[in-house]
Amino acid sequence: MLPIAVLVYPLPVSLTRAALTPLPPPAGAAAALALLWLLICAPGDAGCRLLTVADLFDRVIRHSGRIHSLATALYEKHFPPRDNELGKSARKCHTSGMLTPNGKEYAQKIPREELTHLILKLLQAWKEPLSHFNQHIEHYQELPDDSLSKAKQISNMVHELKTGVEKVTEKMQSMGIISNSLNGMASSEATGLSISNEANMMSDSDFIHCFRRDSNKVQSYLKILKCRIMPENSC
Amino acid sequence: DFENVLSPLCILDFCTSLGQSYPGKPKIIRCRSLEKETFSCWWKPGSDGRLPTNYTLFYSKDSEENFYECPDYRTSGPNSCYFDKNHTNPWTTYNITVTATNEIGSNSSDPQYVDVISIVQPDAPVNLSLETKTSAGIMYLWAKWSPPPLADVSSNSHVYHYELQLKPEKKEEWETISVGVQTQCKVTMLQAGVKYVVQVRCMLDRGEWSEWSSERRIQIPNGESSPEKPTIIKCRSPEKETFTCWWKPGSDGGHPTNYTLLYSKEGEQQVYECPDYRTAGPNSCYFDKKHTSFWTIYNITVRATNKMGSNVSDPHYVDVTYIVQPDPPVNVILELKKPINTKPYLVLSWSPPPLADVRSGWLTLEYELRLKPEEGEEWETVFVGQQTQYKMFSLNPGKKYIVQIHCKPDHHGSWSEWSSEKYIQIPTDFRVKDMVVWIIVGVLSSLICLIMSWTMVLKGYRMIAFILPPVPGPKIKGIDTHLLETGKSEELLSALGCHGFPPTSDCEELLIEYLEVEDSEDQQLMPSHDNGHPSKNAKMITKGKDSDSGRGSCDSPSVLSEKCRESHALPSTLQTQDVRDVQENKEGKRSWETECIASEQKILLFNNESTKETTWPATQLPDNHPPMFAYHSIVDAHKITLTTTNVNIASFLVGNEEHQSQYPITETVHDDMEKQREMENLHSKTDQTTVQVIKTRPNDKSPFLNPKLMDYVEVHKVRQDKETAVLLKHKENSGKREKYTVPGPSKEYTKVSTVVDHNILVLMPDSRIHHTSVIQEPAVEMSQNLQQGQAEKNMSYCLTVPSECKRETSGSEYMDPSSFMPFK
Repeated sequence: MLPIAVLVYPLPVSLTRAALTPLPPPAGAAAALALLWLLICAPGDAGCRLLTVADLFDRVIRHSGRIHSLATALYEKHFPPRDNELGKSARKCHTSGMLTPNGKEYAQKIPREELTHLILKLLQAWKEPLSHFNQHIEHYQELPDDSLSKAKQISNMVHELKTGVEKVTEKMQSMGIISNSLNGMASSEATGLSISNEANMMSDSDFIHCFRRDSNKVQSYLKILKCRIMPENSC
Repeated sequence: DFENVLSPLCILDFCTSLGQSYPGKPKIIRCRSLEKETFSCWWKPGSDGRLPTNYTLFYSKDSEENFYECPDYRTSGPNSCYFDKNHTNPWTTYNITVTATNEIGSNSSDPQYVDVISIVQPDAPVNLSLETKTSAGIMYLWAKWSPPPLADVSSNSHVYHYELQLKPEKKEEWETISVGVQTQCKVTMLQAGVKYVVQVRCMLDRGEWSEWSSERRIQIPNGESSPEKPTIIKCRSPEKETFTCWWKPGSDGGHPTNYTLLYSKEGEQQVYECPDYRTAGPNSCYFDKKHTSFWTIYNITVRATNKMGSNVSDPHYVDVTYIVQPDPPVNVILELKKPINTKPYLVLSWSPPPLADVRSGWLTLEYELRLKPEEGEEWETVFVGQQTQYKMFSLNPGKKYIVQIHCKPDHHGSWSEWSSEKYIQIPTDFRVKDMVVWIIVGVLSSLICLIMSWTMVLKGYRMIAFILPPVPGPKIKGIDTHLLETGKSEELLSALGCHGFPPTSDCEELLIEYLEVEDSEDQQLMPSHDNGHPSKNAKMITKGKDSDSGRGSCDSPSVLSEKCRESHALPSTLQTQDVRDVQENKEGKRSWETECIASEQKILLFNNESTKETTWPATQLPDNHPPMFAYHSIVDAHKITLTTTNVNIASFLVGNEEHQSQYPITETVHDDMEKQREMENLHSKTDQTTVQVIKTRPNDKSPFLNPKLMDYVEVHKVRQDKETAVLLKHKENSGKREKYTVPGPSKEYTKVSTVVDHNILVLMPDSRIHHTSVIQEPAVEMSQNLQQGQAEKNMSYCLTVPSECKRETSGSEYMDPSSFMPFK
């Protein structure tokens, strides 16, 4: 299925490379497969077809939902939420500095490009800290295997999600749904890196707490974005 | 006693040197019943004499001399004996002794006399709890407790009386309050700011008071205190845009108290006060959209303040994303779809709660529905996902289902309440079953129709014959050789229109199916007995219409009856008319008419009498009914021959009906005086019979008064047993289709042997005529004949088709035409 997909729908080479290179096998291969499946082929279709923006949105939303679920599972298993715990640590997420909409109306008001950029920025901000967190818990934490695999899974999925969102963004830009002004904002990669250093200083529980929150943010923004762009599509 | 007996065994020096002795005397301390149904006794052991000592409790009842041992040493603890319900009798005084025994000897306590009622003392009440409450500005103490627990739970239905005592902690005197049977008490007039000590005890009926329960202390708040700290119960966001927090206030300390909700957000130092205390009701705070932030943690506290001071609740941390609990879905619609060719299914549809803005993508709801049969116990839960409708296929038909739906935001938050119950009746699935049933019914009915139509086709002609009987030809079958040898048959044959001799096969087809004789003469000569059974006469008359043809089986008697009715006004005095006159009048038509009238009258009479008259008259004879059938129409076979030569086809009816003429009434025309004389002879014989009958029924005269009755007679039976004779019978109603056939060889019947009751003419074969002997034949014999006739009945039904009949009745020369009329 994969070669056929590639043959029929040649992807931008850069994207494919970007998706494949950072991932070591076998997880990398699996992730690549999942990504390609995510981006190219609709599940259940006899063959692959050209995906609409709505399809892509649905997939990235679903994907972000899965990430959030995994984060929640991890959070609730190892860091059971207690009201006092919740407030005790004056935790400060490394993404707290980012100005993000904290409610529906705000999220609906800010420009689509900006919202898209925020999503990408959030995902980017977690990329490096997640892999760092993975290495960290692998070496220093005595977590059960399934938690470790969850953490790994989260890390990979965030990569995929970012790629997926980029794909959607490209598509929207190519269709003129959003302007290309996003390119100017892409320079924030560096700031993301600086943020991730901050993230590495967080405690595990704070880290999971913050990631869970941001994954929920991403999902919410994606949903808002989708319904803003395609209000007729199951919104 | 034991002591005295055993002590000599113990040598004092020996015992004391070892330091051992018999046990000291135990003492029964107390006996006590908790609830009158059981009781326990405790004893205090004496010295054990430095040896292991056994204690035994013996008791006797006041009325008995027997000693019993304690039934239960364990239940009430060491050195005790427990008497359970079976061993406790409230009307008995127990004499109880405890004996201590060791190796050296034993020692018994003083006896204790126990009356169960007088030792009742319950345990102290338990679970005493105290609470201060303020009502209308007055502070009071609310005390609650439970009755004493009993070992036997089944007897835990006793009513205790309670007493409560309290005092300020620092004082000595108790204040006692009698409570009654309640297990709670309200104490007022307390000193504010003082700590009180409270105890309670109980009593069962008139026994002793229990011990006081353990002490409980309570601080009665004085008006000076600050309020208790409130508790934040919950925070909830119904639509992921706003949220509300509720708290429960503590004691207000007797002063008006203000509550203030304060919150701070994660990462901020600033503390804000609740923006809206009103929207969500008392003791709540509503955070509108402006004040609701997501992905941040709220630190919320509630402060209660009165003039004495303030108290702050524990902080409550809220992440609004995770406190979303939507309202239940609305517009739940259950719809039963019944598509053609498939089973009906249930379509559930609903709407998201009105507050939730699902279109923005901000809140995505997932749904779960549950349903169960109305009487069912367990819910069947179905997770539906984000769709707002669901089809259920596997529902039991004929059951009523309860359906509920709730919803939850995806990935976070909690489930809403269940929507209100919706009911739907699943109809019984009739489709398949009924189809089968209807198919079966259809197949069966079409099969029946097919069979019926088939039968119709096959038997159609017979049915047509039933409805439209064919025109019969005169047929007399089976003129046997004997008859032919006599030579007299020529006349007969010629009369029947069968020319040529010996009779050919054509002639054989001419069955005599009906023989009729008109005997207006006889009628006149003898008083008829037909009063009781006029209907018989009527039938006979109707028979008469088509009698001469020998067929006429299909003729309807009603025609004549109707005719008769036309002139039913004729008085019965006509019956006294001179028969001879009528006879000589030779106006058969007229005589017919009168007869009709008479018989019609009789019919009326008869109907009044009894409907039973439809049965064969012979059987009726011994019964109530007068022998009205003593025969008036007597004709011998020979005469039949004669008369048939002189047949007058008298179309006595108005003639508008064609078949009337085709089935003419035979009228006997007595041209020949000799024949008439013969007839007279016969009449004289009939007179004899009549006389006989009259003698048997002297009271019933009326039947004999009708001289005008002219009856036609059917050939009923050719008796062959002794004297072969033809029995001619009045044509009667349809119930009597008995046929009399003569299975033997054909004979000519020329003589009337007798007239038996019920219009039956007995004809004798010509060869041996024994008038007198047959005349006196009793009716009983007739009934025997009837039985024989019934045996032959079966043959009678097929005779509408002459050819068939001929086959079946081969050998039987004479048949009763009436038997050929299945419709009668």
